[in-house]
Amino acid sequence: MKKSSKIVLAVSSVFVIGLTGCGLGPATPDSGEPAAGGEIAGEITFSTLQLKPTFTEYIEGVIDTFEEEYPDTTVNWIDVPFDGAQEKISTDAQAGTLPDVINLNPNFAQPLEEQGAFVDLEEVVPELRDIYVAGAWDAFQVPGEEGSFGFPWYLSSEVTMYNKAMFKEAGLDPEQPPATYDELFEAARTLTEEGGDFYGMHPALENRFIPDLARLGVPLMNEEGTEWAFNTPEAEAYVQTLIDLYQDGVFPSDSLTQDHTKETEAYQAAQVALFPSGANFLSIIEENAPAIAESTDVGPQITSEGGPTNVSVMGLLVPKTSDNQATALKFAEYMTNAENQLEFSKIVTIFPSVTEALEDPYFTDDSDGTVETKARRIAAEQLENAQNLVPVQFDDRVKSAVIGKIQLAMNGELTAAEALDEAVTEANAITAK
Amino acid sequence: MKAQYRWLPWLFLAPALVIAFLFHLGPFLNTIVLAFTDATTLGGGTFNGLDNFTSLAQDPQFWTSVRNTVLYAVVVVPLLMLLPLLLAVLVERNIPGIGFFRSVFYSPVVASMVVVGLIWSWLLSSDGAVNGVLQALRIVQEPLPFLTDTSLLLLSCMLVTVWKGLGYYMVIYLAALGNVSKELHEAAQVDGAGGGRRFWSITMPGVRPTMFLVGLLGAIASMKVFAEIFVISNGSAGPGGQARSLVYTIREVGLGLSGEIGYASAMSLALFVLTIGFSILYLRSQRSEQLR
Repeated sequence: MKKSSKIVLAVSSVFVIGLTGCGLGPATPDSGEPAAGGEIAGEITFSTLQLKPTFTEYIEGVIDTFEEEYPDTTVNWIDVPFDGAQEKISTDAQAGTLPDVINLNPNFAQPLEEQGAFVDLEEVVPELRDIYVAGAWDAFQVPGEEGSFGFPWYLSSEVTMYNKAMFKEAGLDPEQPPATYDELFEAARTLTEEGGDFYGMHPALENRFIPDLARLGVPLMNEEGTEWAFNTPEAEAYVQTLIDLYQDGVFPSDSLTQDHTKETEAYQAAQVALFPSGANFLSIIEENAPAIAESTDVGPQITSEGGPTNVSVMGLLVPKTSDNQATALKFAEYMTNAENQLEFSKIVTIFPSVTEALEDPYFTDDSDGTVETKARRIAAEQLENAQNLVPVQFDDRVKSAVIGKIQLAMNGELTAAEALDEAVTEANAITAK
Repeated sequence: MKAQYRWLPWLFLAPALVIAFLFHLGPFLNTIVLAFTDATTLGGGTFNGLDNFTSLAQDPQFWTSVRNTVLYAVVVVPLLMLLPLLLAVLVERNIPGIGFFRSVFYSPVVASMVVVGLIWSWLLSSDGAVNGVLQALRIVQEPLPFLTDTSLLLLSCMLVTVWKGLGYYMVIYLAALGNVSKELHEAAQVDGAGGGRRFWSITMPGVRPTMFLVGLLGAIASMKVFAEIFVISNGSAGPGGQARSLVYTIREVGLGLSGEIGYASAMSLALFVLTIGFSILYLRSQRSEQLR
């Protein structure tokens, strides 16, 4: 071989071998002990999930007041769109460049929490635990381990939205929303059969199936949180109900594989009459379909008698790799304090995770008679008994495996029991990896 | 070339080489290495021998993906070899306004697959235009479940792939048709051969090498099918993900914070072997046909 060819080959090999190292690096580095008690000064980066541009003014306002209160600090805000967020987070985690304060939901946070990527708040700020809604604080724990890793930020609580005009058309009382699962499905059936050219409801399996099982009291996992265990007789009865409703045409035929986005579109297009979803969707309906918003009323989240209600939690976490943990922790605490969260809740129908803020008359007084204030009151009342019912282990792959089996059951390819057994087996295989 | 200018070609090649190394060869070799590890999205990754491949052999989702991918190629490739040729013969003639039709047939090629997929998912929905027409013509009583029946969903995706590829392969055939001797056509016409006979005995043999090329390109493209299935099925690959292709499964396994990069790399390697294997078999069969 010629000398020049050898050089080219050697350079290429080094280059390629260098590249092959990608993906084989160590897990997120541990930078050692957290420094909560340090000086509140210097620059930090704060990352949020899809809040720009709708809430730019609010976020920048809070940052400005923080920087005024702590004059030696600078907060650089970046916003990450929801789609692709997991890829960005994992790349940052690999490179050890996670932002100093990062906004994640419990499912996104879980794989990183397991690797010890975040500062344990119960260790560095244990006194703050009691100011937050208990269910929200607990959402950032790793099952079977000590500690909690996220400041709970804004919450979203489901209410039962429904179209009063469609209720009237189907001969149902528009002032009486369904309160139990039996009533919900009965109403959906009546709406489809007796109503006009619309369906009772959309199943939105990927969004509701697992919380529904939890609300019905089905234990989703074993106590250690290591194995899935939802193939119970109660779950089987519930899946059988879904099968019957789908086969009888109570749900739209294409809804089998559709997600919550399609459910929202269907409600806004007057294709379905019932819409159990986050209260924050009221403003989206108002914006996209004012006529539907006018006919919309709300009832409480449907759960079993005495059962828990579900709450979706967003949190702020501080990675151990942050070189300014003291400022990061102070900023996360500031962003989630009662005053700032209350202000945020007044812009959009979300709920503060601080108990004190929830006691504000803004969440208790619905005397103005609007649907928004009614939804706000109902949702805030529910938060007392609310938990994040979706286990943090329910990641995208487990979801795909479980929901896939339920789809096959509803399509008549599996029985309810077979679907649940296969779903549990597949989910366990994925979780065990 | 003078000795001192020997490096010049390398200089000109350098940008392309850097891109090829950085974005093709490097990641490819990286995938081979990762396929033998238990690497995840969040790092780690120790050598685990053939574990990923033994897991693959027992993974029903993998085999469903392989079955669908092979089925996709088997259905799509013959259609992509024949239909664009017919279309090319149709638009080859120099008649006024033919340029417009050529552009129209080519337009799906330049459209984004995501946009095309969304349009087709609306058209194929139970209350969409396709079912509307079928019901209006009394061909079916109830809407066909194009999006919720695995076989119909796969078939719909295949037809969309063919529809989108028609224009591209039509252009390739148009270039090839220019080389088919006009005299042969005229002689055959004088001898009384009809249009069908001339297409079979003159046009097809004349463009055979191009048909081989189109077949090979179509096979490789259909092995990589993803966007059609993902977009038309609303990201679900049908009920239970039964209409999944290999690329769909690789994405599902490898993406996200819990992504199994090692396992997904093993699957990618399997796809590579499948594509190469399919291509070699195809080339061999064509070569033996040429020898005959």
